[in-house]
Amino acid sequence: MRALLQNRLSTAGIVTLVVAAFLPFFCKNYIVDVALTIVTYGILGLGLNIVVGYAGLLDLGFAAFFAIGAYTTALLETHLGLTFWETIPAALVLTSIAGIIIGYPTLRLRSDYLAIVTLGFGEIVRITVTNLTITGGPDGLYGINPADVLGHDLTAPKAVYALGLVFLAVVLVFVIRLGRSRLGRAWTSLREDESAAEAVGVPTLRVKMLAYVMGALVGGLGGSLFAARFGAIDPTSFTYAQSVSILIIVVLGGRGSIPGVLLGAVIVAGLPEALRFIHLWREFVFAIALILLMLLRPQGLWPARLRHIAAPSETEAEGVAHAAPAEQIAERVAGEPEILLETQQLSRAFGGLRAVSDVSFTVHRGEILSIIGPNGAGKTTVFNCLTGVIPPSSGAILWNGRPLARLAPHRVVARGLARTFQGIRLFDNMTVFENVLVGMDHRFHLPVVAEMLALPRAQRETGLHYAAARRWLEFVGLSDQAGLRAGDLAYGDQRRLEIARALASQPQLLLLDEPAAGMNPTEKQSLMGLIRRIRDLGATVLLIEHDMLLVMGVSDRVIVMDRGQVIADGAPDAVRTNPRVIEAYLGRDEEEEDEMPDALGQGAIA
Amino acid sequence: MSEFLQLVIAGLTTGSFYALIALGYTMVYGIVRLINFAHGDIFMVGAFLGWTMLSVLAAGHLPWGIALFIAALLSMAITGGLGVFVERFAYQPLLSAPPLSILITALGVSLALENGILLLFGPGFKTYPHLISMAGFSVGGAQISHIQIGIIILSFLLMGALYLFVHHTFIGTAMRALAVDRDAARLMGINVERVIQITFFLGSALAAAAGVMEGLYYTQISFFMGFVVGLRAFTAAVLGGIGNIPGAMVGGLIIGLLESFSAGYISSRWTDVIVFIVLIGTLVIKPTGIFGERVVERM
Repeated sequence: MRALLQNRLSTAGIVTLVVAAFLPFFCKNYIVDVALTIVTYGILGLGLNIVVGYAGLLDLGFAAFFAIGAYTTALLETHLGLTFWETIPAALVLTSIAGIIIGYPTLRLRSDYLAIVTLGFGEIVRITVTNLTITGGPDGLYGINPADVLGHDLTAPKAVYALGLVFLAVVLVFVIRLGRSRLGRAWTSLREDESAAEAVGVPTLRVKMLAYVMGALVGGLGGSLFAARFGAIDPTSFTYAQSVSILIIVVLGGRGSIPGVLLGAVIVAGLPEALRFIHLWREFVFAIALILLMLLRPQGLWPARLRHIAAPSETEAEGVAHAAPAEQIAERVAGEPEILLETQQLSRAFGGLRAVSDVSFTVHRGEILSIIGPNGAGKTTVFNCLTGVIPPSSGAILWNGRPLARLAPHRVVARGLARTFQGIRLFDNMTVFENVLVGMDHRFHLPVVAEMLALPRAQRETGLHYAAARRWLEFVGLSDQAGLRAGDLAYGDQRRLEIARALASQPQLLLLDEPAAGMNPTEKQSLMGLIRRIRDLGATVLLIEHDMLLVMGVSDRVIVMDRGQVIADGAPDAVRTNPRVIEAYLGRDEEEEDEMPDALGQGAIA
Repeated sequence: MSEFLQLVIAGLTTGSFYALIALGYTMVYGIVRLINFAHGDIFMVGAFLGWTMLSVLAAGHLPWGIALFIAALLSMAITGGLGVFVERFAYQPLLSAPPLSILITALGVSLALENGILLLFGPGFKTYPHLISMAGFSVGGAQISHIQIGIIILSFLLMGALYLFVHHTFIGTAMRALAVDRDAARLMGINVERVIQITFFLGSALAAAAGVMEGLYYTQISFFMGFVVGLRAFTAAVLGGIGNIPGAMVGGLIIGLLESFSAGYISSRWTDVIVFIVLIGTLVIKPTGIFGERVVERM
């Protein structure tokens, strides 16, 4: 009922926005002028929304892209005599280069540092155009020709406004398609949990860079429009205050929400106009209103809804060839050698502590291998070294006979190692289905442009992946929950979703880090069944677990670690009675030694 | 050589302002992970309060030394109170909201303070009385004024006092505990809200001290002076490693020297470009700033 009401409300809201867009055609020129300013801010807001709303990055220098677009159009028109339309490709190329330049140094920075670096970039651009002679210095450039359509110059306010609406419509289609593409999905995962996204296969650095570039493109387009509208530009239009206004539009409206951003543009560009009657007080009143609105609606006035892509139905998914779990894994492991993974003297030190020290073991294809050991034995550190989360201090990792070292985590996933986490790290604010799709990110090969244009090949690729994702959800028993928010799942279901997300990357080796932690006995029982079924698909399973009942019941082989070293390696029964293992768990106490085998057999050592 | 020395002294003087303001950015960031965009304007309000006090006290025929002392102290106290007020009403309700929401409120507070002062004092410059003579002495051909030496010494005393406070008092220890883990600090019985308020008070009071000194040094103040100074101080805090107190001090002095050298040897029009290029270059080489430590994430 509430959802229905919300749907009605947002439909009504969208209709209002559309109607409002056409009202100025029946108004006097002053209103048309304000409306055009709103449209320009709308375009800029939609561009910044890609960076801030979709990808969750910060940009306090967005006006720089606006400036680069405007100055490119102005310079090419006034110096080279190009027409407005001819300058647009150049403006887009230059702004995307600027997007790469700003993106590059910021990629590796902690998110809080983005604020100052992007701000600095914006100031550098503004100061540069203020000080150079070619850009006209503080006076700027003038004599820029208006846009022409079929030989008619667009100079009348209503004609320019119509052009603005066309630009806005193009940008709207672009950002909506982009948001629904796999790139949009990758951005959302980045915003939710950056290191988890990287660890399940999203190339986070490239994806972040693309956010800046796409945002820059839209900002540059807004700049070209701006230059053609006024016929003159100067540096005062591209200040830090301008960047802040655009950011306010996005955050006030609702990050990631397209109608929210448009509403934000109406408020930020329209409210000061509406407040003209209070003269000097208007900036102050605007500031206070802004603070109050943020306090009352921290999520924005029109918050984004959960991204929702419907999973294909059971029959639709069955109808797609090559989507079945067994086929997917078989396709991956065919023709690969018998020894899947080998570590040689793997070591990792944190400061003076050697968390992992000269660890050597092999993983054979098709086995279920467990690593056990007391807390602090270095088990998770081994996982982190294998998956590229942290580089080993020394030693080698051989993957299918070839070295696997110093690769970024997403590249490790592409090679066929997928993992789950000790503490669940799902993308809470994405649907269950989309969580699985994020795990497939590296399997999409066609360019995003093809997907945005809905080319048949791209549709086929998307269809295959949607069907495969659906089949993986069936495999772990979550197909009925596909449309739910991942954060709302029950605990055991969240664990299973993490496994489905990892499996969706088509792994040869699945690394499970304490999958049974916090599960009740029934859930553990079904987890054991699930692990066996994963192996039966042809995948290999490497498991860290404290629950001995599960380890002893499911493993073909067990490796025991203590204080960073491997102290035993063998069949479950042999390990269970190994004196060194018993000592590692319970210490060397004469009385307790007798009880040991039994204690291990009963489980519950955590 | 004499020009170089002259530029160093000028750079250290402005660097002292930046350092004092950068401390406010860095302390607040360290404790609540907020980039307080209103902090530059807090500094500006401090300068205006100092000007108001001095104007009132100068009419009362007090000896200038005493007048200045009272004006500075009152300005610091009131500005500190303003910082606490802003925290209580604009930031505290949003501490657990998405970080961008609180950033926008901070921008709103900045806008409100600027326009509030504009409404109260008008758009023109206000001139500080010439209390301290610009006279000085000559070292190796460089003219060094008493006020420059005074500002540098006083700033170092304030920074030293803050450092001792943070490292040798109970509240300072609580502040450092909050910086590491706010929830754990709360569970240990620390009154988190109170410690946050004290942090805002101290940061704002130091900014006010910088505001009064800037007024005395440059003699002219205006409602928009907080933007550029705040920006450079924020840059200083990041350059030194945001969240790190000695980092803010060193970062402030570096930015001051950079500004002075670029004005002296290149052109003051390019100062901010040079400052930001140095900042970005430093961050590319050392992504956490000069004194910042790398945080290792647990998986």
